[in-house]
Amino acid sequence: MPAKWKTELVRFIPLITLLGLVALVATIEPSFVRFSTLTVLVSDTMTLFLMASGATFVILMGGIDLSVQAVASMTSVVVAALLPELGVLAVPVAVAAGLIAGAAGGISHTLLRIPSFISTLAVSGVVTTAAFLFSNERSINISGETRDAHLAWMVGEFAGVQAEIWVGLILLLVLLFVQIWTPIGRFCRIIGAGEQAAIASGIRVDRIKVYAFMLSGATAGFAGVMMAARLGSGSPTLANEFLLPSIAAIIVGGTALTGGVGSVWRTFIGALIIAVVRIGMTFVGVSVFAQQIVFGLVLVLAVAVTIDRSKILIVK
Amino acid sequence: MEAERRGRTDGLGSVIRRHRRWAPVVVLVLLCAIIAMVNPRFIDPFNLVRLLNAAAIPTVLVMGATFVILMGSIDLSVEGVLAVSAVLASAMVANNFTSADFGLWAVPAGILLGLAIGGVNGVAHVTLRIPSFMTTLGIGFVAVGVATAILQGDTVRISDKGFRALSLERILGIPAGVWIAVAAVLVALFIQERTRMGRWLYAIGGDEATARQAGVPIERTRVMAFAVAGAFSGLAGVMAAAQLGQGHALMGQGRLFVTITAVVVGGTALSGGVGSVLNSVVGVLIVVVLFNGMVLMGLPPFAQQGVQGLLIIAAVAMALDRSRLSFVK
Amino acid sequence: MSRAVSAVLEVSHATKSFPGVVALDDVTFEVRANEVVGLIGENGAGKSTLLKVLTGVYPLDEGEVLVNGESARLRGPRDAFDHGVAMVFQEQSVLITLSVAENIFLGREAEFTRGGVLLKAKMHAAARVELQKVRLDVDPATSCADLTFAQRQMVEIAKALSLDSRIDGDIVVLLDEPTSVLEAKEIELLFEIVRDLRDRAAFIFISHRLDEVLAVSDRVYVMRDGAIVGEMASADATTEKMHELMVGRALQHEYYRENRQGEPGEEIALSVSGLAAAGFTDVSLALRKGEILGIAGVVGSGREDLARALAGLAPISAGEVSVNGRPVRLTSPSDAVGAGIGYVPRERKVEGIVAGASVVENMTMASIDDFISLGIIRHGRERKVAQSWIDRLRIRTPSTETMVGSLSGGNQQKMVLSKWQIAGSSIMVLDHPTRGVDVGAKEDVYELIRDMTDQGLSIILLGDTLEELIGLSHKILVMRDGRITATFDAPVGAKPEQIELITHMV
Repeated sequence: MPAKWKTELVRFIPLITLLGLVALVATIEPSFVRFSTLTVLVSDTMTLFLMASGATFVILMGGIDLSVQAVASMTSVVVAALLPELGVLAVPVAVAAGLIAGAAGGISHTLLRIPSFISTLAVSGVVTTAAFLFSNERSINISGETRDAHLAWMVGEFAGVQAEIWVGLILLLVLLFVQIWTPIGRFCRIIGAGEQAAIASGIRVDRIKVYAFMLSGATAGFAGVMMAARLGSGSPTLANEFLLPSIAAIIVGGTALTGGVGSVWRTFIGALIIAVVRIGMTFVGVSVFAQQIVFGLVLVLAVAVTIDRSKILIVK
Repeated sequence: MEAERRGRTDGLGSVIRRHRRWAPVVVLVLLCAIIAMVNPRFIDPFNLVRLLNAAAIPTVLVMGATFVILMGSIDLSVEGVLAVSAVLASAMVANNFTSADFGLWAVPAGILLGLAIGGVNGVAHVTLRIPSFMTTLGIGFVAVGVATAILQGDTVRISDKGFRALSLERILGIPAGVWIAVAAVLVALFIQERTRMGRWLYAIGGDEATARQAGVPIERTRVMAFAVAGAFSGLAGVMAAAQLGQGHALMGQGRLFVTITAVVVGGTALSGGVGSVLNSVVGVLIVVVLFNGMVLMGLPPFAQQGVQGLLIIAAVAMALDRSRLSFVK
Repeated sequence: MSRAVSAVLEVSHATKSFPGVVALDDVTFEVRANEVVGLIGENGAGKSTLLKVLTGVYPLDEGEVLVNGESARLRGPRDAFDHGVAMVFQEQSVLITLSVAENIFLGREAEFTRGGVLLKAKMHAAARVELQKVRLDVDPATSCADLTFAQRQMVEIAKALSLDSRIDGDIVVLLDEPTSVLEAKEIELLFEIVRDLRDRAAFIFISHRLDEVLAVSDRVYVMRDGAIVGEMASADATTEKMHELMVGRALQHEYYRENRQGEPGEEIALSVSGLAAAGFTDVSLALRKGEILGIAGVVGSGREDLARALAGLAPISAGEVSVNGRPVRLTSPSDAVGAGIGYVPRERKVEGIVAGASVVENMTMASIDDFISLGIIRHGRERKVAQSWIDRLRIRTPSTETMVGSLSGGNQQKMVLSKWQIAGSSIMVLDHPTRGVDVGAKEDVYELIRDMTDQGLSIILLGDTLEELIGLSHKILVMRDGRITATFDAPVGAKPEQIELITHMV
């Protein structure tokens, strides 16, 4: 029995870490746990979660997607440019653009057999150039009316809670469904845990891989749309500095970088851990200039706590 | 007999495999030839010196990165270490921020700081047993954070001419920074070929369990490799400070992915065990020549990233020896 | 007393248990100076555990290891090495990323280092001396990636023998199945080397080829179920006697369920004509419904390459394959699975199972489409099918959700077999299906193989031992150097003798 408890405990360490951090900040600054503060924090975190959500599948597979920030920037431009003409239809177009970018990374990775680290990095460059071309090298504003008309469902409010949170939760449920109930989700994890056995069992591993990169591109694209909606503009550099935090969110949640172990809900928790650390520092009164130091240290500690070493033999 | 028979059937394959080692060099030569044909100004001595100068700091950075990647690990703290070493060096020579004036003592100080941070990377990675991807990412943040906290967003301006000569002074018509890079390559090559640590990197990257069984001190070697990588990043920081005449927290921006790209384009496998610092020198030259060529051809800046991305895929696809990798991640 | 002094390496009353298994049961074992000792036993008899004790990988629960008569606490292969005990691993531990010289002296470079500088010339000179001992004529600077498997094995042996010039007194070299990747000529060379070096070293020689063990060793230990069940001078030993000791009974036909060897059907389930790929050429065969077709051959004979080609894991360069009369193209494993061919790989942990996935996930891996409706995996249906196979094959697992990595080898193998049956494969390619499976579970696997043929499945079998191959098969093909060299019918009561096969194998 105790052994079973222990494995159950390991499963929930990220959640426990999150609650512990919230409690820690709250003891120093009680106003942190007000409902309004927390909902603002969660809604601010949703873009990060969106960006990391699909990429979780790629990491589960043992790969990596470095193109998410470039893709999100690109789709922010696409949605901002097309919104006046297409209305809400601009959103699926932007997501599709992200999906295509993801497919490009996945196909070049599987077809040419180059590491995903490089293929997605290269795709980032191409996507950024495309975004610059599309936007004529400037940022594109979304007028207030256009936004209210077409994107209110995303950045407005519903049942007293920010719409971003609802959108994030719905996406979480959809991706959990994909992860548990569809072959793509299952085989991403199986490929990460034992690619050769998966191949020998007749699984079309390359196809699954491309699907995972497409999923990652699509959610990154969706994240770009949300960013554009929140900021009221799209720009080819809008999502810069989001890449490493999104990977950090995945890993801090307890998904192993080597693949085979992890979940989308963990990424949700991981994104919140990162947000609580960041915002919490302001609440606690850490100087703006010192925040990055604390952030880096907490990142390392959080991974040290949340990672499940029992399934990883050699750490690289 | 079986082996002979196989040897024969694989004859052509093994010839290609043996020569694949030279693929990065072929890519580099082809690239130079094409650019020179399109725009002869490429082979103008002026441009060639500019090219070497642009390659100097990335070359120093890839030396350390190659060691880490040979083990199958990765070092994402390059930008942070470079920045914090640059800030330290610029604050130690004559400048507008501190009253210090230690002259060239700033050089060993910057290198040692890098070495120390690299050591922390390694120790955290080995003792906490977390992937180097995360330790170096976190510690990279800390390093940038330290630089930010010290300067509170300011920039240090260097007034020490002697220190700046490290980058600007010309010897035989070539900037001193390039000579420093050449020296760094020789040191790295020495470490790789002529020290136990260098050979152990290959053993660890090839098969860590077997290396451990043979008595290779895995943990110590890993820590040392990260420390050495940090020292090279520190040196790069000093060089950057000398080149730009300033030090600030964002000095490293954009360096990380160029570094890793150059290592991989040069033919060192991210999975470890295969590659060399010389490969990485070729990788840096490919990336730098490519960039220079695009500027010469008048490509708009925003288009350069895209072209670079496509060409990197092409170069890696050509250069990577995948026959030894059963699957690619 | 004199005996104790002359023993260079000794294990006395050693006991070692793992959860659920007693791997070593009061084992006493010794190697005397200048002696070649054979160690035989079936897979799972405890040979590997004993070796791991001798090289310090496993600490003992009870008993002790003595080196030169003194109790020694070995902390790992490196420590054992420093005590004069060197091991040549069964699974090659040559690093292909290093050169020959670097492999020989890996972990011991200090002796060629002056002031932190590695003196390569000195290291290469020393390596040349070691290479001479194994008569391997390669440049010490060659990358091991460019060597053949046999050459790598020789480097491995050279690495072990390098101990001799570095330790005072006698050394002991443990050779764990060193001949499995070697050709006949190379095996002969290895034996010569062993005989040559006897005045300087003692050897422990482990092999499942009994004739080899008898040929090279002075004395033989036989292990079964974790205990030493026999010790004799090679001169007094016969293959039959050793065999009887190993199996614990005279060769019994019931062991392989020969009574259940039925008549195969008339229809041809799999026909292969003129097939060629890397490792073999011009292979033609016909596998009937319900038939077990054994393929015999040494490592490198091409039989494993043939198995992998049929599984879609190696590209086919010429020839045709038909399943149930219909031609099929086997360009990938998914083609093979689609054609109804299931592959049970030799490397179970790499290609057979996904250790980090659950039993049910592993079982339905090859047939997930059957469990999907409307794009959704039906977990309930999946679990029901998995549970029915767990019951049917008596797979010992706490639940369908247990991680496969935590099951025993035998249960893992049963699970792999059920995976293909769930996928409805009509042809099974079994590459060493009882490898790493303990003795009791082996019989279960044989029972299962008979069950499968009763249901009309057809099987291509690459046996772990010749005896197993002969006992199970209806018909046997022998391969050598990539070609079929002989065909034997193996009906009950008229099975070919091992020696008949061997003459066509080497």
